[in-house]
Amino acid sequence: MNAKLKETLLNPIFKGNPITVLVLGICSALAVTVTMKGALVMMLSVTVVSAVSSLILSILRNTIPSRVRIIVQLVVVSMMVILVDQVLRSFEATYAIDKQLSVYIGLIITNCIVMGRIEAFALGNKPWPSFLDGLANGLGYGLILLTVAFFRELLGSGTLFGVDILGRLGYVPNNLVILPPMALILLGCIVWIQRSIQKDLQEK
Amino acid sequence: MDTNKNLYTVVYTAVVVLIVSALLAFVSTALKDKQDANEKADIMGQIMTAAQFGTRAELQGLGNSNVLAKFDEELAESFTVNLAGEKVADLQRDKVYPAKELKAQNYKIKGAGEPELPVFIFKNGKTVVPIYGAGLWGPIWGYIAFEEDLTTIASAYFDHDSETAGLGARIKDDPDFQHEFNGEKADFAGTRIFEIVKGGAPKEADGKTSVIDNKIDAITGATMTCKGLDEAINTWLGAYKAYFGKNASTSSCCGECAQDCGKCTEGCDEAENNCGEE
Repeated sequence: MNAKLKETLLNPIFKGNPITVLVLGICSALAVTVTMKGALVMMLSVTVVSAVSSLILSILRNTIPSRVRIIVQLVVVSMMVILVDQVLRSFEATYAIDKQLSVYIGLIITNCIVMGRIEAFALGNKPWPSFLDGLANGLGYGLILLTVAFFRELLGSGTLFGVDILGRLGYVPNNLVILPPMALILLGCIVWIQRSIQKDLQEK
Repeated sequence: MDTNKNLYTVVYTAVVVLIVSALLAFVSTALKDKQDANEKADIMGQIMTAAQFGTRAELQGLGNSNVLAKFDEELAESFTVNLAGEKVADLQRDKVYPAKELKAQNYKIKGAGEPELPVFIFKNGKTVVPIYGAGLWGPIWGYIAFEEDLTTIASAYFDHDSETAGLGARIKDDPDFQHEFNGEKADFAGTRIFEIVKGGAPKEADGKTSVIDNKIDAITGATMTCKGLDEAINTWLGAYKAYFGKNASTSSCCGECAQDCGKCTEGCDEAENNCGEE
């Protein structure tokens, strides 16, 4: 894999993370990070939608009439979202999580990461790099989701992936951590840590 | 090729939309059976949660086939009744009503025809009936389990399609809200069968325990969802009123004067009938 592809794949995961640097997809990051399971399923769903939509639209990029390109993007992305939702609903293991995530699976279509990357990258690049870009952005989004969910589930319910961890040590779950504001505070802390490591992100 | 011509644009979008819709229709048909099976087990889980066979999470953890087996094992009988309280037909033992079927019955209750109202009676004595109505953003529904007197609510479980997480969604997610129903009594004689009171229901002297009546506290920040739930409960329990009136077990009046009740002298423990005191 050449250096440019590697950069496409690795950049969104840390240096150009869609949540902490581009500040996209915040709404769902606050909503689905109560449990690790939810965050994991959301991460996989967004990654699949973002990667496959980027791939399809990159293949079609030279045939799409520019006047209706946003509409074509919407059609493809919403198709992927519906497919993901249908598949999640079909499996016994994911049915309950799909219900728990309810509207947020459908709202992946409004996740700016997906449409943003298609518009900014997939329409101007070849299919393979576009696929990797979509994949990497989904993973970068998921990484932050999992980090936030780790603290929220551990401190808010005393569990991880539903397995009791702190509860048996006599920890009383902190309900504040379950509420959306705490996700925003945790997210702020992650942005703070990242910016103190990556000095070039700091505004003068 | 010029991709900006009108004809090209129209044909292109039409073809894309056709391909996408064909694909979605195919996938939806192919996966329908599996989704229906999941939904059925989910509804059985909701009904059994209301009938106190375990918490929602415990029942979900069982897996589909075990939920179906448990439902079949614990169910005494299930049938439909009409608005006059007469039994219409027995239901198949694994028949449950998905939300969209409840919706159809909901229209009929509100005057569009004769509804078929499902009743599920379990071997532990609980009678479970569904409710259905409109929340703030979408439908809400649930199951209420009654004790044998068909007045005391044993417990309730509610679910929703798209209520706001953290606010309206608490009718489903907040166990404290659902626990408020336990032990309350529906008032079939009054104008309102059950009330979810904004600002708080009457409390015992300790200021916390709800008085045993037909009122409970609404959820802060979920006024419209609670209004919808209140409406749904009153509409549906109103439809079941005749059935409940005819079939209420009278065993609860054994402790009082049996002759006042006039019904339950048979089958009651003599010692419990303290009629001599009057």
